Amino acid sequence: MNINYSRLSALIFLLFFIVYSYLASEIRVFAFDENADFNARTFPTFISYLGIFVSFLTLVLSKNEHEKLGHYEWLKVIVLFVLVFTYGIIIKSIGFFLSTNLFLMVAYYYLGVRSPKVIILSSIPVVAGLQFLLHELLDVYIRDPFLQAIGVIS
Amino acid sequence: MNEGILIGINTAFSGYNILMVMAGCFAGTIIGMLPGLGPMSAIALMIPITYGFDPASAMILMAGVYYGAIFGGSTSSILINAPGVAGTVSSSFDGYPMSQNGQAGKALAIAAYASFSGGTIAAIFLLIAAPQLAKVSLSFQSADYFALMCVGLLSIAAFASKGQFLKAMIMTALGLALATVGQDALSDITRFAFGNINLMDGISFVLLVMATFAMSEAFMIIFKKMDISFKASDVSKANLGSIKLSKAEVKEMAPVIGRSSVLGFLVGVLPGAGATIASFLAWGFERSIASAKDKLKFGKGSIKGLTAPETANNAACTGSFVPLLTLGIPGSGTTAVMLGALLSFGVQPGPRLYIEQPELFWAVIVSMYIGNVVLLFLNLPLIPYIARILAIPKNILVPLVLFFSVTGVYLISFNAFDIYFMAIVAFLSLVLRVLNYPMPPLILGFILGGMLEKNLRRAILINDGSFSFMWERPISLALFVVMIIIVLLQIYQGIQKNKAK
Repeated sequence: MNINYSRLSALIFLLFFIVYSYLASEIRVFAFDENADFNARTFPTFISYLGIFVSFLTLVLSKNEHEKLGHYEWLKVIVLFVLVFTYGIIIKSIGFFLSTNLFLMVAYYYLGVRSPKVIILSSIPVVAGLQFLLHELLDVYIRDPFLQAIGVIS
Repeated sequence: MNEGILIGINTAFSGYNILMVMAGCFAGTIIGMLPGLGPMSAIALMIPITYGFDPASAMILMAGVYYGAIFGGSTSSILINAPGVAGTVSSSFDGYPMSQNGQAGKALAIAAYASFSGGTIAAIFLLIAAPQLAKVSLSFQSADYFALMCVGLLSIAAFASKGQFLKAMIMTALGLALATVGQDALSDITRFAFGNINLMDGISFVLLVMATFAMSEAFMIIFKKMDISFKASDVSKANLGSIKLSKAEVKEMAPVIGRSSVLGFLVGVLPGAGATIASFLAWGFERSIASAKDKLKFGKGSIKGLTAPETANNAACTGSFVPLLTLGIPGSGTTAVMLGALLSFGVQPGPRLYIEQPELFWAVIVSMYIGNVVLLFLNLPLIPYIARILAIPKNILVPLVLFFSVTGVYLISFNAFDIYFMAIVAFLSLVLRVLNYPMPPLILGFILGGMLEKNLRRAILINDGSFSFMWERPISLALFVVMIIIVLLQIYQGIQKNKAK
């Protein structure tokens, strides 16, 4: 039996559902519910049986073919993933307006946009427009230390 | 019922809701046109915007987005042979050759008239079928609902799997498992939260949909180096040609529209099937009944070949609302997202919806007519201008989609944890998609998980801990037989495929 990506993923899912099954058995239920016909453990246990069954079948029945994943842009996606993560970290501290503009500008630049005009016009008006829509039309308040500091919002 | 319809008409024809339909159709057309972004992503992106709306307006907006996205997908299929939506792939078979023959305008007009007719005829069917089905489903008990949901989960795994049924079932199980995170609805016991306060309320449905669709689609565009941008001149007005149809062409279209509307609606009603299967079936059906001379035209710019899938996919969209509105069970991935949105508004779709909230039930149905009119009279003349969206380069589009996805989730909770969690889920779903694991079964499993547990619990408790309800209740028994047939069909197809190889 060759290990290909389908089998490997099925094996990971099999392990996942085995761990899930164990965790389901560890769910603490009320003493009076312990021997009930249906308690908080029952449904997760059924799901784990289903998961173990189908991932085991996938593992066994997957063909012995060598699978190629092709040439994908892993690095670019990982960088974008890190950018989204960083955006999540700075959004609270520097506020929505500044962090979103920074996120967009860095992403545009990283993906190959070099014209400052395009970068600025595709970020600041979009973010300002959305923030205006949220604040003025939909009454959604977003805390923004930067805009508060320069006196745009109270 | 008549009173309900009048309330629905009143609600749908309010200035605000007409604006919602127009905005939805317009936004849906733009998003659906972009290759890679389908109706699920379009609706997912709309959910955060609709949070301040009343449920009827929100549903009307989302229904408009759904129609618009299918229409937008047809436009990119016809103009550039790059379907934005799976349901419009078969439209490119004849639409794109027409476009290459200098008849792009005519092809778009055929698509618009066919979509309008299919959507309108199916909306009439919905008007008749929905209350009848709702009445029948009042006799459903927990056991029947449990069986029906199982049929829905199995059939979406069968239809959405593209031959990978087991992988689709793994995704269903994963979706169900994710639904168990957080507090148990009955006992309030926290499950699988690992002491993390952010997980105690469960995983947000909007987060999961945004991450698995909108965000991972954006990642996928970069990941697969998809070239999705086109020159503005390719879609300019001068290149489109006339949008007028001759009498003979309309005559040729009419019977196809009639047949494909019925077929599309019926396929749409089936759980899991939806617009993609309806459009392929309609194209194949028209080809099989065409005369030998007409058959040769299929795939080379046949009017019938374009009319059939365009009619059927819109009719199927309408049909998929039948199980959603009457049984509270979504028939497709897109309506599953809508169900999630409705639940987050505190609305429980089901047989009592049209009695308890007629304004919502009927307004959505009536707004479908308005949506079809909007698509025909507003979007068709604007196509040369809207199609310029295809000229947006991917390095601008991708960060914008990421931004709207992240903002959409952040604005609901104002919790940075959701952004991290979303990024991780989006990355994992990208990997799973590369390995051919379909995402719609995961979403349907996640959305139905809570309801499935509730109904199973009730059915087991009513039956004193026994599973006898599976064969004692005729409705449940019939549904379980359907499930067995679906599984056997999958096994048979698998064996046939292996033999063919």
